[in-house]
Amino acid sequence: MRLNCLVLWLMACILCTPSVHAQSLDNRLAQCAACHGEAGNSALEGIPSLAGQPDFFILNQLVLLREGVRKVDAMSEVVKGLEDAQIIAIAAHYAGLPPALTGEAPDPAKVARGSKLAAMKRCESCHGTNLLGDQQVPRIAKQRVDYLSAALKAYRDNMRTGADTSMSAMIFGLSDAELDDLAHYAASR
Amino acid sequence: MRHHFLTATFCAALLAAMPATMSFAQAPAAPASPTGLSPLDKTNPSKSGQDSNLRGHPVPPIAASVDKLPIDKIKLPPGFKAEVWSSGHPGARTMVQGDKGTMFMGSRVIGRVYAITEKDNKREVKILLQGLTQPNGLAFKDGSLYVFAINKVYRYDNIEDKLDNPGTPVELTSAYNLPPEIHHNWKYVAFGPDGKMYVQVGANCNICELNLGIYAQIRRYNPDGTDMEIVARGVRNTVGFDWHPVTKELWFTDNGRDWAGNEGPEDELNRLPKGMEGANFGFPYCHAMGIADPDIKRPNPCAGVVMPAALNGPHSAGLGIKFYTGQMFPKSYQNVAFIARHGSWNREKKFGYDVVVARINGGKATIEPFMTGLLDEKTNSFYGRPAYVFQMKDGSLLVSDETSGATYRITYSLRSAGVN
Repeated sequence: MRLNCLVLWLMACILCTPSVHAQSLDNRLAQCAACHGEAGNSALEGIPSLAGQPDFFILNQLVLLREGVRKVDAMSEVVKGLEDAQIIAIAAHYAGLPPALTGEAPDPAKVARGSKLAAMKRCESCHGTNLLGDQQVPRIAKQRVDYLSAALKAYRDNMRTGADTSMSAMIFGLSDAELDDLAHYAASR
Repeated sequence: MRHHFLTATFCAALLAAMPATMSFAQAPAAPASPTGLSPLDKTNPSKSGQDSNLRGHPVPPIAASVDKLPIDKIKLPPGFKAEVWSSGHPGARTMVQGDKGTMFMGSRVIGRVYAITEKDNKREVKILLQGLTQPNGLAFKDGSLYVFAINKVYRYDNIEDKLDNPGTPVELTSAYNLPPEIHHNWKYVAFGPDGKMYVQVGANCNICELNLGIYAQIRRYNPDGTDMEIVARGVRNTVGFDWHPVTKELWFTDNGRDWAGNEGPEDELNRLPKGMEGANFGFPYCHAMGIADPDIKRPNPCAGVVMPAALNGPHSAGLGIKFYTGQMFPKSYQNVAFIARHGSWNREKKFGYDVVVARINGGKATIEPFMTGLLDEKTNSFYGRPAYVFQMKDGSLLVSDETSGATYRITYSLRSAGVN
């Protein structure tokens, strides 16, 4: 899996101009696809799917990654020199793709526990009906379990910067197991 | 070379993979409370009777183009006029001015501090700092810019001579020793008339019982972060304060709790009476003009609580406040407080999105409209969100609009008032 991604990544880089700056949109999208999946559904551990994310969410995150507000090592080079117009185009591209569940299958027992917890936490209040996301709030339905689980822990532990603080407040004090239940539940939707 | 570097970076990142084990101190695994939003937060939204899909509004990370700015929507009393003063600074909120005229603007999520310089009546916007975690707190003194991000405090000396390369700041984080929690802790700070740095420390929840010796306060420090004192307690989240020009008393806005109904408890305009440093303003037990909290109960919840000088509207989100001492506006505006109301999210019918005037009468105040028009009540939508106000040296008033990434300058002239 990792090898595949690496090969794709290298191809994307060989195809592109010597500078990471001023690249065409197609080159940019090829770079995205190398890890986030050809159709925006990631097959790689820990890498989130982008298909069907609200365009405002992708726009927001790409700006925050470019600015170094949200720090993700794997992204720091690829977002260098990204222009606002390209960000808008990338966001529109992924917003229009159909999401599909990838990665490990959600565990029914965890889904059941997560479902109760999610109702209590009112996840749909911000993440939208059926957790499809809206505006600045991401779609978490059909997202990868491993990614969701890691992201939730990062929010709880105040390690995730560049997002609104209410997510950290909402899951304050939850255990790893509870966050895992939430991840399985969201992925299953 | 670049490819090697990229590949190496990429591999390292892949191998590290996201679910790295956190060696961070984790909060105890308390069972989820059946009613609260978190084990800390005691909100019970289903009891509020409000639309459960209400949520915060997004802040565009890209500024609106000048021709899209809602300047034509703005309505003001006769004689006042609004114009675009600056634009192209997405997310900009707080404003402080350097001695040499540079306007510094802080932001939240986008993590930038902007520097705006003026030349030949044109403004140039620079990104002075970026990559900070919600640097909303800015103050300027003796040539130095103080930047309070969540959990980071920096001082940039002689900053106006180094706008192109601000260099390494003096770090004051450990001296100020602020709590690490992030929610409601994007800072507001300002120097008081006593030369002390006043700093907001919010409540890390919507409604919860927490250590009131640490959270929900206004503190003051020497500028270097020493000699901390608590000046106001039981303050849920103030993100704006100023001192009355005559009495020198501290006045501050405070955002009321959410999910307790569309009509309140209303946000507050508070006054800290002279000699009452450390006074209690009621959070989490007592809100507005003596409303007991519906989710956290205790006997005599409002005993000893300083009541607000004025109620500032339900969920209106009063942020910036400035007393007016300029010469441009009519005499009747002398020493009034202008308050930017960012506008509601936890209310079905939107409210605020304006600038109001608070007329002070001793310890009380009355609120009246000033800058309106950004809220379209018919469609329940808004064109902009005023965040902070700033009085310019010529007496005009700047209003920052976080949604559009622009500031509007409000001027007054007798001619436009129809008085010759």
